[in-house]
Amino acid sequence: MKEEDYILFENYLAGELAVEEKALFEDRLETDAAFQESFKTYKAVSGFLEHKFENEATTNAFKSNLKSISNAHFNVAKNTSEENKKTNPFRILKYAIAACVVLMFSIFTFNQFNNPTYSDYNSHEPMTVVRGNVKDLIEATKAFNNEEYEKANSLLKKVLENDPENTEIQLYYAITNIELDNFNVADTELNKIITGKSAYKDKAFWYAALSRLKQRKIDATIVLLKQVSEESDDYKEAQKLLNKLE
Amino acid sequence: MSAKKIHEDQKYIEGLLENNSFIIQAIYDTFVPKVINYIKQNSGDADQAQDVIQETLITIYNQASQKKLQLTCPFDAYFFLLCKRKWLNELKKKTNKEVTINEEVLSKDDDSQELAFETSLFGEKQALFNTMFQQLGTACKDLIKATFKIKSMEEVAASLGVTYAYARKKKSLCIGKLTKMVQESPQFNQLNY
Repeated sequence: MKEEDYILFENYLAGELAVEEKALFEDRLETDAAFQESFKTYKAVSGFLEHKFENEATTNAFKSNLKSISNAHFNVAKNTSEENKKTNPFRILKYAIAACVVLMFSIFTFNQFNNPTYSDYNSHEPMTVVRGNVKDLIEATKAFNNEEYEKANSLLKKVLENDPENTEIQLYYAITNIELDNFNVADTELNKIITGKSAYKDKAFWYAALSRLKQRKIDATIVLLKQVSEESDDYKEAQKLLNKLE
Repeated sequence: MSAKKIHEDQKYIEGLLENNSFIIQAIYDTFVPKVINYIKQNSGDADQAQDVIQETLITIYNQASQKKLQLTCPFDAYFFLLCKRKWLNELKKKTNKEVTINEEVLSKDDDSQELAFETSLFGEKQALFNTMFQQLGTACKDLIKATFKIKSMEEVAASLGVTYAYARKKKSLCIGKLTKMVQESPQFNQLNY
């Protein structure tokens, strides 16, 4: 673009072109692609500069407020993980004791102790029908409690289609998928619960961890286990598993 | 015009715009843990997550303030997608490091994909404009700063000791120069594809 084109851009944006000049300008915008391209960029750059300098003070105020909230949030997270570190010597002692016990046992039992695996933890709480008495749901419950996961899986899928927001069903559906090694489906369902606000959130973290454990993604298992909150039923179990993994 | 319905989560956008600490805190409590998880599971650590999240919120703030951002999808999906995209870009930059990506659930919601895409494009353009602005000569930088801060071109001219006509012309030429630099940068063509 030539210098006078940029001057024209500026005058147009400032609304300072005469009627004929304006018509001419808009006509050229439609017919001259390069002119139009440059004008678009000029306008965007100009908008950026205007915002940057006119609102500098408010933007800076926002940034500093954001920074302090962010630091507070992340420091809490760091402190809790440091507290965990502080307990390390104790944990090492526990490890030592546990190791001795394991060693002694293994001498007598020909080393039947292995790394924790999913199958150590897959004794699920029995499924109980809470809401509705749809036929499929009853069938699904029976199948689930009889560990016929394939059958339960397809029935639960059907139930979910009619009642997609039912977190309890989502959870059991996810469990059947873990059992059947459909990890993608399982993890997707569990994530829905995790990001929601239901009472099954902690259960979902626990099972999400077990799913990763079954996939031998140990790092992810650890991260998820740490999210299981202290109030939850699975907290103790989660901590035990954590100790074994870390 | 078929205006899309604005999502109730627009309150988060308004809250950011108003610099409302209560809302910002709520965003950290409600939506941030998921992002931290994701980044940690994908070759990142807490510090990196903190930066990505902070920069993403600033981009949203800027777009809201400059372009009147209107949320037509849940904030959760939109925010997560934005952070994810930003993190994947960060990972790409470290070319030598091998990257393992854990494809987690994504909302298949078109609105959130589209909106997140727009915002990240907006953010990348802003960053590019900013880099290019820093590369302008001092005279242009000062003049541009003055024109947008002072508003009245007469005052600008007086404060810089030049005539009104000159200040005005110079402003268009400086922004024109910046426009040209932006257009000629390789990143710009990637953004504009």
